[in-house]
Amino acid sequence: MKTIQAHVDALFREIPDSARKESLKQEIVQNLQEKVSDLMAQGKTEEDAINRAIVEFGDIGDIREELRAQQQMPLMKTNAGQQLCFSIAGSLLIIALMIFINLYAAPDFLWCIFPIFAVLWWPLAMYFRWRKYR
Amino acid sequence: MISSDIIRGHLDPIILRLIMEKDRYGYEISKEISKRTSDRFQIKEATLYAVFQRLEKKELISSYEGDVSLGGKRRYYAITPLGRAFFKEEVEEWRKTKEIIDIFMEKEVEL
Repeated sequence: MKTIQAHVDALFREIPDSARKESLKQEIVQNLQEKVSDLMAQGKTEEDAINRAIVEFGDIGDIREELRAQQQMPLMKTNAGQQLCFSIAGSLLIIALMIFINLYAAPDFLWCIFPIFAVLWWPLAMYFRWRKYR
Repeated sequence: MISSDIIRGHLDPIILRLIMEKDRYGYEISKEISKRTSDRFQIKEATLYAVFQRLEKKELISSYEGDVSLGGKRRYYAITPLGRAFFKEEVEEWRKTKEIIDIFMEKEVEL
């Protein structure tokens, strides 16, 4: 039974570690061991049974793709949230600066409206990006 | 043993169907597929677990740890309401697809 574990470890070596990977490995080892004991009940030697279970397992490529796809999404999600907060904070600072300069230098003409409208596109774009990944 | 692209394209509904009948675990599903097809189609374990990952991500199935067996706890899969709806749609689509392909594959050629 040791060989099954070793083989699954080897199969998953290239895949980045994650909680998902560990639980999947456990599940596969458990299922393969059940298969091995079934094959042995049909009269195969332990070695034959293990070999057959390993050969029939197939290519790890599909599993790797699925695990990778799962890992990328949450990463983008947290990034999108952080970037939204950053854009809000950044644009507020710029807007405050514009209002201050306007009131200090030329209180008769409210020109700061124009750059404020331009700056608002930044958090707006980030908001929709964040909503997409939420 | 058939390793057809057509079957591979419909693994999701095949597995959903088996899970819909009752909660099952991985090895049980691969055994059941071989049994029902009299070994004409065998699913590779690697493919099976990739399908589980995909279906669970799409929330068509959910999983839980079940009874302890040889070498650890079995992970059982159960279908979600979304999974049932998806399966129904797939069946409907398969029926329509089959009709269309039959027009070209099953009709006698008229010369």
